[in-house]
Amino acid sequence: MAQKLFYEDIHVGDDMPELVKGPIQKLQHVMYAGASGDFNPLHTDDDFARAVGMKDGVIAHGMLIMGFAGQAITGWVPKKYLKKFGVRFSGMTKPGSTISITGKVMDKRVENGENIIFCEVVARDENEDVKITGHFEASLPNRN
Amino acid sequence: MADLSKVGTEYSPITWEVERGKIRELAKAIGDPDPIYLDKEAAVAEGYKDTPAPPTFLIVPMMWCDKMPAIINDLKINFMMLLHGEEEYEYYRQIYPGDVITGTPKVTNIEEKESKSGSRMDMVTLEVLYKNQRGEDVAKSRSLIIERK
Repeated sequence: MAQKLFYEDIHVGDDMPELVKGPIQKLQHVMYAGASGDFNPLHTDDDFARAVGMKDGVIAHGMLIMGFAGQAITGWVPKKYLKKFGVRFSGMTKPGSTISITGKVMDKRVENGENIIFCEVVARDENEDVKITGHFEASLPNRN
Repeated sequence: MADLSKVGTEYSPITWEVERGKIRELAKAIGDPDPIYLDKEAAVAEGYKDTPAPPTFLIVPMMWCDKMPAIINDLKINFMMLLHGEEEYEYYRQIYPGDVITGTPKVTNIEEKESKSGSRMDMVTLEVLYKNQRGEDVAKSRSLIIERK
Protein backbone atom coordinates (compact mmCIF):
# COMPACT_ATOMS: atom_id res chain seq x y z
CA MET A 1 0.00 0.00 0.00
CA ALA A 2 1.29 3.45 -0.91
CA GLN A 3 2.53 5.58 1.96
CA LYS A 4 1.57 9.22 2.37
CA LEU A 5 3.24 11.31 -0.30
CA PHE A 6 3.49 15.09 -0.50
CA TYR A 7 4.37 17.32 -3.44
CA GLU A 8 7.24 18.88 -1.50
CA ASP A 9 8.85 15.48 -0.97
CA ILE A 10 9.12 14.68 -4.68
CA HIS A 11 12.04 15.96 -6.74
CA VAL A 12 12.81 15.77 -10.43
CA GLY A 13 15.10 12.80 -10.94
CA ASP A 14 13.70 10.81 -8.02
CA ASP A 15 13.28 7.09 -8.68
CA MET A 16 10.05 5.23 -8.11
CA PRO A 17 10.70 2.16 -5.92
CA GLU A 18 11.47 -0.79 -8.24
CA LEU A 19 8.96 -3.64 -8.39
CA VAL A 20 10.06 -7.11 -9.50
CA LYS A 21 7.37 -9.52 -10.75
CA GLY A 22 7.62 -13.15 -11.71
CA PRO A 23 8.87 -15.48 -12.94
CA ILE A 24 5.56 -15.34 -14.83
CA GLN A 25 3.74 -18.69 -14.91
CA LYS A 26 1.42 -19.80 -17.72
CA LEU A 27 -1.20 -20.13 -14.97
CA GLN A 28 -1.06 -16.36 -14.56
CA HIS A 29 -1.95 -15.95 -18.26
CA VAL A 30 -5.06 -18.04 -17.61
CA MET A 31 -5.96 -16.01 -14.51
CA TYR A 32 -5.47 -12.76 -16.42
CA ALA A 33 -7.54 -14.01 -19.37
CA GLY A 34 -10.43 -14.76 -17.00
CA ALA A 35 -10.11 -11.50 -15.08
CA SER A 36 -9.76 -9.23 -18.10
CA GLY A 37 -11.98 -11.12 -20.53
CA ASP A 38 -9.20 -11.23 -23.14
CA PHE A 39 -9.41 -14.85 -24.29
CA ASN A 40 -7.14 -14.55 -27.32
CA PRO A 41 -5.64 -18.09 -27.39
CA LEU A 42 -2.26 -16.56 -28.24
CA HIS A 43 -1.89 -16.17 -24.46
CA THR A 44 -3.14 -19.56 -23.27
CA ASP A 45 -2.86 -22.18 -26.04
CA ASP A 46 0.68 -23.19 -27.08
CA ASP A 47 -0.53 -25.00 -30.22
CA PHE A 48 -2.42 -21.91 -31.39
CA ALA A 49 0.51 -19.62 -30.58
CA ARG A 50 2.93 -21.81 -32.58
CA ALA A 51 0.47 -21.89 -35.48
CA VAL A 52 0.57 -18.09 -35.66
CA GLY A 53 4.36 -17.94 -35.58
CA MET A 54 5.37 -17.93 -31.90
CA LYS A 55 7.90 -20.76 -32.00
CA ASP A 56 8.14 -20.98 -28.20
CA GLY A 57 4.38 -20.93 -27.68
CA VAL A 58 2.21 -18.53 -25.69
CA ILE A 59 3.13 -14.96 -24.77
CA ALA A 60 1.79 -12.89 -21.88
CA HIS A 61 -0.98 -10.34 -22.36
CA GLY A 62 0.56 -6.90 -22.86
CA MET A 63 -2.11 -5.59 -20.50
CA LEU A 64 -0.79 -7.91 -17.76
CA ILE A 65 2.58 -6.15 -18.00
CA MET A 66 0.75 -2.80 -17.92
CA GLY A 67 -1.03 -4.13 -14.82
CA PHE A 68 2.38 -4.80 -13.21
CA ALA A 69 3.33 -1.19 -13.98
CA GLY A 70 0.05 -0.04 -12.43
CA GLN A 71 0.89 -2.07 -9.31
CA ALA A 72 4.32 -0.42 -9.12
CA ILE A 73 2.81 3.06 -9.54
CA THR A 74 -0.07 2.73 -7.05
CA GLY A 75 2.28 1.02 -4.59
CA TRP A 76 4.13 4.33 -4.55
CA VAL A 77 1.62 7.07 -5.44
CA PRO A 78 -1.82 6.50 -3.86
CA LYS A 79 -4.35 5.46 -6.54
CA LYS A 80 -6.60 8.42 -5.74
CA TYR A 81 -3.86 10.84 -6.89
CA LEU A 82 -3.26 9.16 -10.27
CA LYS A 83 -4.46 11.35 -13.16
CA LYS A 84 -3.02 9.75 -16.26
CA PHE A 85 -1.19 6.51 -17.15
CA GLY A 86 -0.19 5.37 -20.60
CA VAL A 87 2.17 2.82 -22.13
CA ARG A 88 3.60 1.73 -25.46
CA PHE A 89 3.97 -2.02 -25.88
CA SER A 90 7.39 -2.65 -27.36
CA GLY A 91 8.22 -6.30 -26.75
CA MET A 92 6.59 -9.67 -26.21
CA THR A 93 6.92 -11.41 -22.84
CA LYS A 94 7.38 -15.18 -22.56
CA PRO A 95 6.41 -17.33 -19.59
CA GLY A 96 9.29 -17.72 -17.16
CA SER A 97 10.29 -14.07 -17.54
CA THR A 98 10.99 -11.89 -14.54
CA ILE A 99 9.80 -8.33 -15.09
CA SER A 100 11.27 -5.31 -13.34
CA ILE A 101 9.31 -2.07 -13.25
CA THR A 102 11.25 1.13 -12.74
CA GLY A 103 10.19 4.76 -12.91
CA LYS A 104 11.54 8.26 -12.59
CA VAL A 105 10.17 11.74 -11.91
CA MET A 106 10.77 13.79 -15.06
CA ASP A 107 9.07 17.07 -14.09
CA LYS A 108 6.87 18.67 -11.46
CA ARG A 109 4.82 21.85 -11.70
CA VAL A 110 1.60 23.48 -10.53
CA GLU A 111 -1.09 23.42 -13.23
CA ASN A 112 -4.57 24.87 -12.67
CA GLY A 113 -3.92 24.86 -8.94
CA GLU A 114 -2.91 21.18 -8.89
CA ASN A 115 0.55 19.88 -7.92
CA ILE A 116 1.37 17.60 -10.81
CA ILE A 117 4.30 15.20 -11.03
CA PHE A 118 5.23 13.81 -14.46
CA CYS A 119 6.94 10.44 -14.41
CA GLU A 120 8.17 7.80 -16.81
CA VAL A 121 7.82 4.06 -16.26
CA VAL A 122 9.64 1.16 -17.95
CA ALA A 123 9.22 -2.63 -17.75
CA ARG A 124 12.21 -4.82 -18.61
CA ASP A 125 12.86 -8.54 -18.39
CA GLU A 126 15.91 -10.20 -16.83
CA ASN A 127 17.86 -9.69 -20.08
CA GLU A 128 17.13 -5.93 -19.99
CA ASP A 129 14.79 -6.28 -22.98
CA VAL A 130 12.22 -3.48 -22.78
CA LYS A 131 8.60 -4.67 -22.71
CA ILE A 132 6.77 -1.42 -22.17
CA THR A 133 7.70 2.24 -21.89
CA GLY A 134 5.18 4.65 -20.47
CA HIS A 135 4.34 7.70 -18.49
CA PHE A 136 2.06 8.73 -15.66
CA GLU A 137 0.92 11.91 -13.96
CA ALA A 138 -0.32 12.36 -10.42
CA SER A 139 -1.74 15.29 -8.48
CA LEU A 140 -0.21 15.38 -5.01
CA PRO A 141 -1.32 17.23 -1.88
CA ASN A 142 0.81 19.84 -0.13
CA ARG A 143 2.36 18.93 3.19
CA ASN A 144 0.38 21.72 4.88
CA MET B 1 -6.54 -3.50 -44.28
CA ALA B 2 -8.31 -1.18 -41.90
CA ASP B 3 -11.26 0.68 -43.42
CA LEU B 4 -10.04 4.30 -43.58
CA SER B 5 -13.58 5.62 -44.00
CA LYS B 6 -14.34 4.66 -40.39
CA VAL B 7 -12.62 7.65 -38.79
CA GLY B 8 -15.15 9.40 -36.57
CA THR B 9 -17.35 6.32 -36.20
CA GLU B 10 -19.04 6.01 -32.82
CA TYR B 11 -20.13 2.57 -31.65
CA SER B 12 -23.03 1.67 -29.41
CA PRO B 13 -22.16 2.12 -25.74
CA ILE B 14 -20.65 -0.43 -23.41
CA THR B 15 -22.53 -0.60 -20.11
CA TRP B 16 -20.90 -2.39 -17.21
CA GLU B 17 -21.95 -2.89 -13.61
CA VAL B 18 -18.82 -2.87 -11.47
CA GLU B 19 -18.62 -5.71 -8.96
CA ARG B 20 -16.33 -5.91 -5.94
CA GLY B 21 -15.42 -9.47 -6.93
CA LYS B 22 -14.26 -8.40 -10.39
CA ILE B 23 -12.02 -5.71 -8.91
CA ARG B 24 -10.55 -8.30 -6.56
CA GLU B 25 -10.17 -10.82 -9.39
CA LEU B 26 -8.21 -8.38 -11.54
CA ALA B 27 -5.92 -7.41 -8.64
CA LYS B 28 -5.36 -11.12 -7.90
CA ALA B 29 -4.59 -11.91 -11.56
CA ILE B 30 -2.02 -9.11 -11.67
CA GLY B 31 -0.70 -10.33 -8.32
CA ASP B 32 -1.20 -6.93 -6.66
CA PRO B 33 -1.51 -7.54 -2.90
CA ASP B 34 -2.53 -3.93 -2.10
CA PRO B 35 -5.41 -4.32 0.39
CA ILE B 36 -7.25 -1.26 -1.01
CA TYR B 37 -8.28 -3.45 -3.99
CA LEU B 38 -9.20 -6.47 -1.88
CA ASP B 39 -10.75 -5.23 1.33
CA LYS B 40 -13.35 -2.48 1.76
CA GLU B 41 -12.22 -1.63 5.31
CA ALA B 42 -8.62 -1.16 4.20
CA ALA B 43 -9.78 1.04 1.31
CA VAL B 44 -11.97 3.18 3.57
CA ALA B 45 -9.05 3.61 5.98
CA GLU B 46 -7.07 5.06 3.06
CA GLY B 47 -9.77 7.57 2.16
CA TYR B 48 -11.72 5.63 -0.48
CA LYS B 49 -15.46 5.03 -0.41
CA ASP B 50 -14.96 1.35 -1.22
CA THR B 51 -12.38 -0.83 -3.03
CA PRO B 52 -11.39 1.32 -6.04
CA ALA B 53 -10.90 -0.15 -9.50
CA PRO B 54 -7.16 -0.67 -10.26
CA PRO B 55 -5.54 1.57 -12.92
CA THR B 56 -6.00 -0.92 -15.78
CA PHE B 57 -9.57 -1.95 -14.88
CA LEU B 58 -11.15 -0.48 -18.03
CA ILE B 59 -9.87 -3.46 -20.03
CA VAL B 60 -12.56 -5.48 -18.22
CA PRO B 61 -15.70 -3.83 -19.64
CA MET B 62 -14.01 -3.49 -23.05
CA MET B 63 -13.19 -7.20 -23.34
CA TRP B 64 -16.07 -8.77 -21.40
CA CYS B 65 -18.68 -6.86 -23.42
CA ASP B 66 -17.15 -8.40 -26.58
CA LYS B 67 -16.86 -4.86 -27.88
CA MET B 68 -13.26 -5.01 -29.04
CA PRO B 69 -13.76 -8.01 -31.38
CA ALA B 70 -16.91 -6.39 -32.80
CA ILE B 71 -15.08 -3.14 -33.50
CA ILE B 72 -12.13 -4.98 -35.03
CA ASN B 73 -14.54 -6.80 -37.36
CA ASP B 74 -16.30 -3.58 -38.30
CA LEU B 75 -12.96 -1.92 -39.11
CA LYS B 76 -12.13 -4.95 -41.35
CA ILE B 77 -8.88 -5.55 -39.46
CA ASN B 78 -7.37 -9.02 -39.85
CA PHE B 79 -7.41 -10.40 -36.31
CA MET B 80 -4.30 -12.54 -37.01
CA MET B 81 -2.26 -9.44 -37.88
CA LEU B 82 -3.38 -7.40 -34.90
CA LEU B 83 -1.07 -5.80 -32.34
CA HIS B 84 -1.91 -3.68 -29.32
CA GLY B 85 0.44 -0.72 -29.75
CA GLU B 86 -0.43 1.64 -26.93
CA GLU B 87 -2.91 2.03 -24.10
CA GLU B 88 -3.55 5.20 -22.11
CA TYR B 89 -5.99 6.23 -19.39
CA GLU B 90 -7.06 9.55 -17.96
CA TYR B 91 -8.75 9.29 -14.57
CA TYR B 92 -11.38 11.80 -13.44
CA ARG B 93 -13.11 9.96 -10.58
CA GLN B 94 -12.71 6.66 -8.76
CA ILE B 95 -14.71 3.68 -10.02
CA TYR B 96 -16.28 1.73 -7.15
CA PRO B 97 -18.31 -1.47 -6.72
CA GLY B 98 -21.94 -0.80 -7.56
CA ASP B 99 -21.11 1.86 -10.13
CA VAL B 100 -22.67 1.37 -13.53
CA ILE B 101 -20.27 2.77 -16.10
CA THR B 102 -21.12 3.47 -19.70
CA GLY B 103 -18.54 4.11 -22.39
CA THR B 104 -18.97 5.14 -26.00
CA PRO B 105 -16.12 3.90 -28.23
CA LYS B 106 -15.08 6.24 -31.01
CA VAL B 107 -12.50 5.85 -33.78
CA THR B 108 -10.52 9.09 -33.61
CA ASN B 109 -7.75 8.37 -36.10
CA ILE B 110 -6.61 5.87 -38.73
CA GLU B 111 -3.31 6.30 -40.51
CA GLU B 112 -0.94 4.17 -42.51
CA LYS B 113 2.70 4.09 -41.45
CA GLU B 114 5.87 2.38 -42.55
CA SER B 115 7.96 0.57 -39.95
CA LYS B 116 11.77 0.84 -39.78
CA SER B 117 11.97 -2.49 -41.61
CA GLY B 118 9.85 -1.09 -44.45
CA SER B 119 6.67 -3.06 -43.77
CA ARG B 120 3.41 -1.13 -43.86
CA MET B 121 0.84 -1.01 -41.11
CA ASP B 122 -2.40 0.73 -40.24
CA MET B 123 -2.63 2.51 -36.91
CA VAL B 124 -6.15 2.86 -35.48
CA THR B 125 -6.85 5.03 -32.42
CA LEU B 126 -9.93 4.16 -30.39
CA GLU B 127 -11.11 6.39 -27.54
CA VAL B 128 -13.77 5.58 -24.96
CA LEU B 129 -15.13 8.14 -22.51
CA TYR B 130 -16.73 6.41 -19.53
CA LYS B 131 -19.46 7.99 -17.39
CA ASN B 132 -21.00 6.65 -14.19
CA GLN B 133 -24.68 6.26 -13.27
CA ARG B 134 -24.79 9.92 -12.16
CA GLY B 135 -23.60 11.07 -15.59
CA GLU B 136 -20.19 12.09 -14.23
CA ASP B 137 -17.10 11.50 -16.36
CA VAL B 138 -14.99 8.83 -14.65
CA ALA B 139 -12.22 8.03 -17.12
CA LYS B 140 -11.14 8.02 -20.72
CA SER B 141 -9.22 5.24 -22.45
CA ARG B 142 -7.22 5.57 -25.63
CA SER B 143 -6.04 2.44 -27.43
CA LEU B 144 -3.73 2.27 -30.43
CA ILE B 145 -4.41 -0.84 -32.48
CA ILE B 146 -1.93 -1.84 -35.17
CA GLU B 147 -2.66 -4.03 -38.17
CA ARG B 148 0.43 -5.41 -39.85
CA LYS B 149 0.13 -5.79 -43.61
